[in-house]
Amino acid sequence: MLSRVALARKLAPATLANARCSSTQPVLWKREVLEVKEHPDRDLVNFPRLKQPELPGPVRMGFIPEEWFQFFYPKTGLLGPYVFGAGLITTVLSKEIMVVEEEFLFGICFFTMIAAVHKMYGKDVAAILDKEVDKELEENRRFVHENEKSIEEAIQGELLAQKQTAAQDMIIESKKENIALQLEAEYRRRNLKVFQEVKKKLDYHLEVVNIERRLQQQHMVDWIVSNVLKSLSPQQEKEAFNQCIVDLKSLASRA
Amino acid sequence: MGFGDYPLEYNRNVHGPYDPSRYYGKPDTKFSDLKLSEIPAWIGRRNKSPQAAASMISRAYWRWQIKYLLPRRATPAPYYQFIVGSMLLFYYINHHRLAEHTRYKYH
Repeated sequence: MLSRVALARKLAPATLANARCSSTQPVLWKREVLEVKEHPDRDLVNFPRLKQPELPGPVRMGFIPEEWFQFFYPKTGLLGPYVFGAGLITTVLSKEIMVVEEEFLFGICFFTMIAAVHKMYGKDVAAILDKEVDKELEENRRFVHENEKSIEEAIQGELLAQKQTAAQDMIIESKKENIALQLEAEYRRRNLKVFQEVKKKLDYHLEVVNIERRLQQQHMVDWIVSNVLKSLSPQQEKEAFNQCIVDLKSLASRA
Repeated sequence: MGFGDYPLEYNRNVHGPYDPSRYYGKPDTKFSDLKLSEIPAWIGRRNKSPQAAASMISRAYWRWQIKYLLPRRATPAPYYQFIVGSMLLFYYINHHRLAEHTRYKYH
């Protein structure tokens, strides 16, 4: 009957077409996808990595899955599942498949108590537990955040150390230059020393040669002079003397 | 496949972390997408070994648990479902005893 009402309201064409495939129903509850670095063979389209869900699947009346109601909805409308449930219970009771014996009352009391506690304290308990969940999540987030921060600091320290090592390279370079300068100075000092030593030696040789030559000359001169003097006879001396006198006289007459 | 091993079709590199609620074999048409005439063939295709049955029950249990019990902000719904389910099960098991208490002969 209800389906006829649905047809009358023009709900039917689309919904009846969909009635056969429950997979085309609106999805009420689905697990979220978690994205992380994966193996290259990984098939992420058909086998995504799923997160822990935040909320459970929706239920009605505390425990009956919403999907069951949605299964009824296209065929029977909103009240269908309730009518079905009530009809089922009526049938079961009337046929005494469910026997009303002394424990039946216990069942009613039990569910009434649970429903009462659920209605009276459910929200408060949920609030307390939600707060706990939030606290735990916050702690986890803080843990991750602190880890990230410490890793960030470690990276900064590493970069600083690398920069300092670069400065160390410059220092080593300048030290090398310094040593090169010292080596150059030492080289030049030694070159100068060699030059001076060689010059001294050459000077000495020059002096020796000079002295030798001087002495030889002296000796030669002395020898020639003494020989010349020796070779001069008294006669010649006398002639020379006279010649000098004559010269002096001629000079005197001219003066 | 020994006791407690992963299913043979499961390959960590392709499938990632093992999801106990998931079937890793070749998927068949969904039961809810079948026409009535296709149902016997579908049942004929099922693997009816005890291991397959056990793994099916395990998968169903994990699917239920992940959907209702393990979310961060879970409700008491799974506990109620467990209570109702166990009540129905034990009612069914004890039905032949409870049937002794019927009051009416004709229905």
